[in-house]
Amino acid sequence: MFSNFRASHAIGLAIALGVTATAAPTAIAENSAVSVYQSAIVPILEDHCFECHGDGYDKGKVAFDRLETDAQILKPDLWLKVLLNTRAGLMPAERKPRLPPADQQKLERWIKYQVFGIDPENPDPGRVTVRRLNRVEYRNTVKDLIGVDYNTDHEFPPDDSGFGFDNIGDALTMSPMLMEKYVAAAQSIVSEAVPSEARKPAAQIVQGVAFNGDNAKVKWGKRQLVFNEPANVSARVNAVPGSYKVKLEIEVNGSYVPDPGRARVIFKVDGKEVHREEYGYFDEKVFTLESTHKWASNDHTFNIQLQPLGPAGKPETIIDLFVNKVTVEGPLEKSQWVAAPQYDKFFPRPVPASAKARRAYATELLTAFAQKAYRRPLNDADAGARLAALAEATYTQPGKTFEQGVAHAMAAVLASPRFLFRLEAPAPHPGNAPFSDIDEYSLATRLSYFLWSTTPDDELMRLASRGQLRANLAAQVKRMLADPRAGQLARNFTGQWLQARDVEGIASNPREIAIRDAGEEAKLKQLFAAFRAQDEKTAHQLAQEIDDLVKSKPDLEKETRADMRRETEAYFDYVVHEDRPITELIDSNYTFLNEELAKYYGVPDVVGKEMRKVTLPAGSPRGGVLTQGSALLVTSNPDRTSPVKRGLFVLANFLGTPPPPPPANVPALEASESEFHGQAPALRDVLRVHRENPLCSSCHNRMDPIGLAFENFNGIGQWRDSERKQPIDAQGSLITGETFNSVSELKRILVTTHREDFYRTLTAKLMTYAIGRGPEYYDVETIDRIVRRLDDHDGHFSELLMGVVESAPFQKMRTQASMTVSN
Amino acid sequence: MSKLLTREVERQLQLSRRQVLRGLGAAIALPTLISASPAFARSVAGKAAPTRMAFVYVPNGAIPAAWWPAGNAGADYALSPTLAPLANVQKNIQVISGLGDVSAEPGADGAGDHARAGGTFLTGVRIKKTAGSDIHAGVSIDQVVASQIGHLTRFASLELTCDVVRKSGECDSGYACAYEYNLAWQSANQPLAPEHNPQFAFERLFGDGPRNERVANLKRRENDQHSILDYVMEDAKSLNARLDGRDRQKMDQYLTSVREIEQRIAISKTMKVANPDLDAPAGVPASYEEHVALMFDMLHLAFQTDSTRVATLLLAREGSNRPFNDIGISSGHHDLSHHKNTPEIIAKVQLIDKWYVQRFAAFLEKMEKTPDVDGQSLLHHSMILYGSGNADGNRHTHVNLPVVLAGAGGGALQPGQYIKAKEQPITNLYLSMADAMGGERLASHGDSTARFQS
Repeated sequence: MFSNFRASHAIGLAIALGVTATAAPTAIAENSAVSVYQSAIVPILEDHCFECHGDGYDKGKVAFDRLETDAQILKPDLWLKVLLNTRAGLMPAERKPRLPPADQQKLERWIKYQVFGIDPENPDPGRVTVRRLNRVEYRNTVKDLIGVDYNTDHEFPPDDSGFGFDNIGDALTMSPMLMEKYVAAAQSIVSEAVPSEARKPAAQIVQGVAFNGDNAKVKWGKRQLVFNEPANVSARVNAVPGSYKVKLEIEVNGSYVPDPGRARVIFKVDGKEVHREEYGYFDEKVFTLESTHKWASNDHTFNIQLQPLGPAGKPETIIDLFVNKVTVEGPLEKSQWVAAPQYDKFFPRPVPASAKARRAYATELLTAFAQKAYRRPLNDADAGARLAALAEATYTQPGKTFEQGVAHAMAAVLASPRFLFRLEAPAPHPGNAPFSDIDEYSLATRLSYFLWSTTPDDELMRLASRGQLRANLAAQVKRMLADPRAGQLARNFTGQWLQARDVEGIASNPREIAIRDAGEEAKLKQLFAAFRAQDEKTAHQLAQEIDDLVKSKPDLEKETRADMRRETEAYFDYVVHEDRPITELIDSNYTFLNEELAKYYGVPDVVGKEMRKVTLPAGSPRGGVLTQGSALLVTSNPDRTSPVKRGLFVLANFLGTPPPPPPANVPALEASESEFHGQAPALRDVLRVHRENPLCSSCHNRMDPIGLAFENFNGIGQWRDSERKQPIDAQGSLITGETFNSVSELKRILVTTHREDFYRTLTAKLMTYAIGRGPEYYDVETIDRIVRRLDDHDGHFSELLMGVVESAPFQKMRTQASMTVSN
Repeated sequence: MSKLLTREVERQLQLSRRQVLRGLGAAIALPTLISASPAFARSVAGKAAPTRMAFVYVPNGAIPAAWWPAGNAGADYALSPTLAPLANVQKNIQVISGLGDVSAEPGADGAGDHARAGGTFLTGVRIKKTAGSDIHAGVSIDQVVASQIGHLTRFASLELTCDVVRKSGECDSGYACAYEYNLAWQSANQPLAPEHNPQFAFERLFGDGPRNERVANLKRRENDQHSILDYVMEDAKSLNARLDGRDRQKMDQYLTSVREIEQRIAISKTMKVANPDLDAPAGVPASYEEHVALMFDMLHLAFQTDSTRVATLLLAREGSNRPFNDIGISSGHHDLSHHKNTPEIIAKVQLIDKWYVQRFAAFLEKMEKTPDVDGQSLLHHSMILYGSGNADGNRHTHVNLPVVLAGAGGGALQPGQYIKAKEQPITNLYLSMADAMGGERLASHGDSTARFQS
């Protein structure tokens, strides 16, 4: 069956609803494609499709009566569209009745088993291109491996994404600049973590918050001074007599305004000035100021003074100076050195004396480290020796320690393709079958990056080394979900599926939105006109009126945006951990809020900073991810809502039926406003005009009603009853016929009559994220089976998760044209 | 064969492999012909200062009526409203009409003009419509030139952007986001991710730390990296033998990247690393205006210090929906660009077009004020192409692209003119620019049909 292995066809994420066959038909497989098509399929198509796609018609260049050879018939991309469109009820078009269930089922079975050639008992797992760690995975991995939190968001460029996710092997590329950054990162990480000597001066840390005095504030749990307020703060430290190195670590973090302020920072030790520095605007920049001291007594005082240097009278010029910490290193006298912290973690035994024993020790250490970093055993004995030779070349240089040599070789491990790329191998003895299980190390790695976005832990590696991971899969998944690292699934999956990541960076203008909601845009135009005419008096008065108008409206603070992201993550996390039905992602009576966000949404009685589950008042429209701030904001334009983007968001990410992209030369909505001759129309009316164009209507009839249901939420996610002084009308109907009066009713429709569409869409999204490639036509059966499983078990999240984890694409790989790795 | 000879053969093989990896296998050397076009009037032989080339990309096209100068071509023309900020450097620029990016036109691949405008701008080839499984563009002209002359400077090329964050989810109409966020393509499937942090760009060029320690830090870093690079190169080679298909492509990308760093380290040993009398930038400014200015500064520094001769700067990705609150525009650029001839919206878009030109003008003025080694200005020895792969953003057209070519290319160009060229692919202009860079003469680039003709 697989001898004529087809080239894969990317099909996009949309895979729609339908009836799932449970077994492969055996009868039709015996016959030629043409005869089966003619005898079994054409009669169905004749009844329902030929009106546009037969008898001389070829709408969309599809004519089913012109397929005359096997080659013309067996085209997966054509039939995938047929499957998709008939399942979604988009075809037959224009609200003609759907295919009768028996016909639909017959057609689906023929498409899946004959055209796609799927063997349901042994489906093609597909081909995953080797995946480079993205910057989230890299950061987590390094943290777990060596204990260093390397800020990859800051240091590395953003990763390219594919199919909506940034962990897709094909889309993750490498460049000289990135490689340079990897090498530099490896060196920096290793030098931070690995001690260069067994003993070193003791160090004690005086935390920034220990500094008290005038104008000492706290922000994000750190001691904060601000550039426009003089401050004078002190802390004490106790130290035995001796020589000391004192390192003051401060951080300048400014909110940029056109004329940022400057400030002088003076650091005194025991009343004596040791540093005097001036700082301007920096973005989270850390400065370390060092000085050495010979102390005879035990009790010492550190004092920090901040003197504002202007510009004066600019209260909006806020630059924070964080006092991070003071590190006191000493006594520096060698006789008083202590064991280096973390030394045992990297060097469990003393360094031997002889060259040979050193080499053996280095080999042992580096082999163990490389195995952990490469997520599989180093089968090639030579590999450890090569690493040891690299270490030796360094530690035999004058002035270098053994530890530095080993650290250097560890940096090479972190720059190796075996670390940076997730290389996978088939299970031993794959035989001649076209597909094989992936080996247990590959499975451990897939699981770990799927659920934790990081490297497998010791237990996963231990099970893999004994070949027992596959046998304990369910228990391990359960264990992994209970681990705090599983928060990464919510963060990175919803961050991209729902674009919750973008909410913190997306451009938004709350002031403009408030003015528009109030229907006072004319005032703004008058204001600009007054400015242009240099009519200061009128301009001043208008500006005052506008200020009064927006004064009562809350701004969209940075922290509110972060809370919105946290809400979505906490919500998804809850569904995962409590194993809730996934329909609750759309429709529920709860969400996750803290005091600030609750106020922002107008939900009463929530006190405190931490996010917690809040049962919403009866009738609240806020339950489910679609009406959370994150989704509402990322689907808005900077100055207004976008019902089109919102409709598209639901169609693409929840129903799996994104409309085709707009044709060229489509005007923006603002352009349709000109039809209203100076009146300020509600968006609903503008869209209606837009839809009158037949070129636009076929897709906008699908998007707009869904998007308009959300019009009670403005462009920054707040409830409103009117827009431009006209009451909001959220009624509408779906292209598939269901009608609704409110967003709550729309949600209900989505989780009832469109439940399977949602199951199928979320399954495809989660699978894409889990396996690192886009869905292909041969995945249809795998996804159908997971949907069936969800249907049979009330849609609980664990069924979806285990469905994906147990699926062929996750468990297996192609053996032909697949690589083998044996380091 | 002697050991030395073997090594030389190996080196040659490596070099030619690198060229193949950069997609240059088919480049055929032809005798240099002097173009008859006025834009490329003089021969470039016999000058001391090198010629530099940069491409600056601005998204969503420009309002044509406000972009194009009224009146006749030639030296005696009045700048248009949008180009008015270039008044101080008018004699150093050429406004060129007639250039097109036909590869960005919709074909069988349907919608996605923004992704195509970005992905084709420097490659001149039709890009493959894919959400991510098989990204395929072509080698961009900057990389073609870099592969020819890149070995003469510490950096073969420099890639910069002012886009800090990327959109999650999918990009334009089924095209992978890579087409919009990357201008430079080292091979058909290897975009070169640009740097957005001016501090990192600076430290990469000149080293990090206090001013007087930078060069030493850089040398130390390169020394330390040498053995690591050797090691991982071996690792990658042994893996490569066992990989195939797309996995092998990935490992090839890794290998070329390592090789390029090794070559840079080798070059650094023989070349002086410049140490500008400046502090490194303090990171990414929150203000876009300041960010753009700093990235232009980095470009200026890189050229001034001859750290590289080829660069790309993406001011914003094609299709960018950035609002410009500082100039009173709170709607997104892309949303506005579909203005359907509403005068009020057109005025806003034109303000944005002009805002970008202002930033470019400030950069050119700085380039013009900076003397090069021969006393001529840095701008004189440069060719800076500023433009967009979209012409009229409202209608997504790709003919008559808004393009300004600044600098004299060391004498190869005759700036100070408005050229109404006949309709031709913009890649024709690239070919002529590449000629002026003094590398091997290219037979063609992307969809080019000939050398540039006015």
